[in-house]
Amino acid sequence: MIPHDILTLYSAKMLEYGIAILFLVLFIPFWRYVQSSAVAPEPATARVRVPAPATDWFALPMDRLFHRGHAWLKDEADGNVTIGLSDFAARLVGPLSRISLPAVGSTVGQGEMAWRLVADDGRTVDMLSPVDGTIVDINPVVAASAATAESDPYGRGWLLKVRPSRLRANRISLLSGQAARRWMDEVLVGLRGQLAPSLGSLAQDGGAPLHGMARAIDPEHWDELAGAMLLTGKEERHA
Amino acid sequence: MSSPTASALDSRNWIEEKFFLGMSFWDYLRSLATPGNFVAGLIMAVGIPLIVYRFAAGLGATTNLSQTNPWGIWIGFDMLSGVALAAGGYTIATSVYIFGLKEYHPIVRPAVLTGFLGYLFAVLGLTADLGRPWNLPVPLFFSWGGPSVMFEIAWCVVLYLTVLGMEFLPPVFEWLEWPRARRIAVNMTIGLTVAGVMLSTLHQSSLGGLFLMAPTKLHPLWYSPFIPAYFFISSIAAGLSMVIVESALSHRAFQSRADHTVNVDTLAIGLARGASVVLFCYFFVKVQGIADSGRWSLLNTGYGYWFLVEMLGFILLPSLLFAYGARHRKTALVRWTAAWVVLGIIVNRLNVSVIAMNWNVPDRYIPSFTEVMVSITLVTIGISTFRWIVNRMPVLQELPEYREH
Repeated sequence: MIPHDILTLYSAKMLEYGIAILFLVLFIPFWRYVQSSAVAPEPATARVRVPAPATDWFALPMDRLFHRGHAWLKDEADGNVTIGLSDFAARLVGPLSRISLPAVGSTVGQGEMAWRLVADDGRTVDMLSPVDGTIVDINPVVAASAATAESDPYGRGWLLKVRPSRLRANRISLLSGQAARRWMDEVLVGLRGQLAPSLGSLAQDGGAPLHGMARAIDPEHWDELAGAMLLTGKEERHA
Repeated sequence: MSSPTASALDSRNWIEEKFFLGMSFWDYLRSLATPGNFVAGLIMAVGIPLIVYRFAAGLGATTNLSQTNPWGIWIGFDMLSGVALAAGGYTIATSVYIFGLKEYHPIVRPAVLTGFLGYLFAVLGLTADLGRPWNLPVPLFFSWGGPSVMFEIAWCVVLYLTVLGMEFLPPVFEWLEWPRARRIAVNMTIGLTVAGVMLSTLHQSSLGGLFLMAPTKLHPLWYSPFIPAYFFISSIAAGLSMVIVESALSHRAFQSRADHTVNVDTLAIGLARGASVVLFCYFFVKVQGIADSGRWSLLNTGYGYWFLVEMLGFILLPSLLFAYGARHRKTALVRWTAAWVVLGIIVNRLNVSVIAMNWNVPDRYIPSFTEVMVSITLVTIGISTFRWIVNRMPVLQELPEYREH
C-alpha cells in the first residue's frame, strides 16, 4: 500500500469517528426531546377493568342490543325493532327539556345522527341510530315530554319503532349481555380516567353517578364531553 | 335433526351472513354501487386485461425493460417499496409480543393484515416481472443456490408470507366461529412473531444486498457496502409510518367496525416517537456511508442535489417533524409526516433500483403505460381486499367474547 492511500484511509476514519461522536452528542438531547411531552399524556386504551361493579350504576337489560353510541335496540314480534337511549345517556345528558325525534316515514342509518337531546339549559347533544331502516312510529309520550325517556328509558320511554332494512348486518356492530357489560365498564374507566376528581368521588361514596353527570364534570363544555361519549362530538365525526 | 330444506336454508343464511354482510345476494350487489367501488372497478377493468396481456405477450411487448435496464417499477415499486411498507407487521407484532408494549395490541391485527397483503401483492408484482415466472419453484425446491442473495430472498419471502398468513388466522377463525382452531392459532403467536422478526431481518436487508452486486451500475451516492443495513433500518421507519397512515384511514373509513375505546391518536403519537428516533439514526448511518466512500464532491452535481432532497427532505425533516408532533401531541402533523415518510421510502427504493441505477449509460428507463397500470391495479386490488376482510372479520376490534384469551 502506498503512503498516499494510508493517509487517505486515516483521514476518512477520522471523519467517521467524528460523525459517530457528533451523532451520540446530538442523539442524547434528541432522545430527551422526543420522549418528553409538552402536554399531558392521554391513556392509549381504556382496557383496565374497573374493580367496582360499574355496570350496577346503569341499567343494561339483557334482552337489549346496544350500539356504542349508547342507543339500544329490541326485536319485536312483527319484525320491527324498538329503539331508545340508554340509562347512561339519559343520566349523562339529563335533565332534558325535550327530545327532537325524526318524522315517521324517514330513514335512519346505523351510526348516523338520528335524534337530538335538548337539555334544560338549551344545549343539544345528538345521538346515533343503532340500525338502518325506516321509522314506522315514534313514542308520542316522549315526543310530548322527555321526562319518561329519562325515568324509564328501557320501558315506556322508548323513542322509535323502525322497520330494519339490514338487521343481520347491523347486528355485527351491536353488543349484548356480557359483552355490553364489558363495554360499559370500559366506557366508565375512560370517563373516570379522564375526569377522576369529579366522578371518582362519587364512586368512593358508593353512590350512583348523579343525573346530569356531564354538567357535574365540566360545567363549561359539558355538551362537548357528552357528544364525545355518545360518538357525535366534533372530533368523533371527523375521526 | 334438521330437514334437508332447513339445512339448505341454514347454509344460505350462513353464506349471506359471512359473505354478503347479512344481505341477500342482489341486495349486496346493489350495496356495492358506490363511487369508490366504481373507480376501483374502472381501474381493474383496464388493469386486469393488461396483466393477462403481459403473460400472453411477454415482457418485451408490454414493458420498457431491456438488457441494460432489466429492473423497472415492478421491482422498484411493487417489490422493494411494497415489502418495506409491509414491515409494519413485524415491527408492531414484535413490539407487542416480544417487547411487551401491550397498549399497541389493538393495532396488531390491521398491521399484520397490511403486511400480509403487502407481501402477497409484492409477490404478484414479482411474478409479473419475472420473464419465466413458471420457474419460481426452481430456487425453492429444485436448484438451491446457497451463496446467492436471491436464494435467501426467495425462501425468506415465501416463509414470511406463510408466517404472516398464519399470524392472521385468529381473526379468520373468529369470523368462521371455530373456537378450537382459533385457540391453536393463538398459541402459535409467540413462535410466529419470533420467526417473523428473524425472517424480516434477513430478507429486508437482503433486498438491499442485491445491489452489492452492482457497484458499477448504481450511483456512488446510493451505493454503499452498508446498503443492507440501510434497507433494514428504513424498513422499520416505513413499517411504523405505514401503520400510522393505515390506522388513521381505517378508523375513518370503517367507523362502525372500529373499537372506539382505543385512542388511535395516542397510539399514533407513540409510533411517531419510534419512527422519529429510527429516522434520526438512519440519517447518520447514511452520512457515515458517504464519509466511508469519500464521495463528498458528488453532492455538488445533479444526482447529488436529488440525493440531498432524499436525505434532508425525506429522512431528516420527517424525523424532526415526528419529534415535534409527538412532543406537542399534534396528531394531524404526525399523520401527514407518516404519509410523507411512506412517499420517501418509495422514492428511496425507486432511486436505488431505477433512478440512480445505470445513471451513467445513455439508455434510460421510463416505465411503459402497461407497467404503471399493472402497478396501480395491484395496489387497487390490495386495498379492495383489505376492505373486504375488514368489513367481515374482527380486525379493527376484538370480539368481546374472545378478549383476554
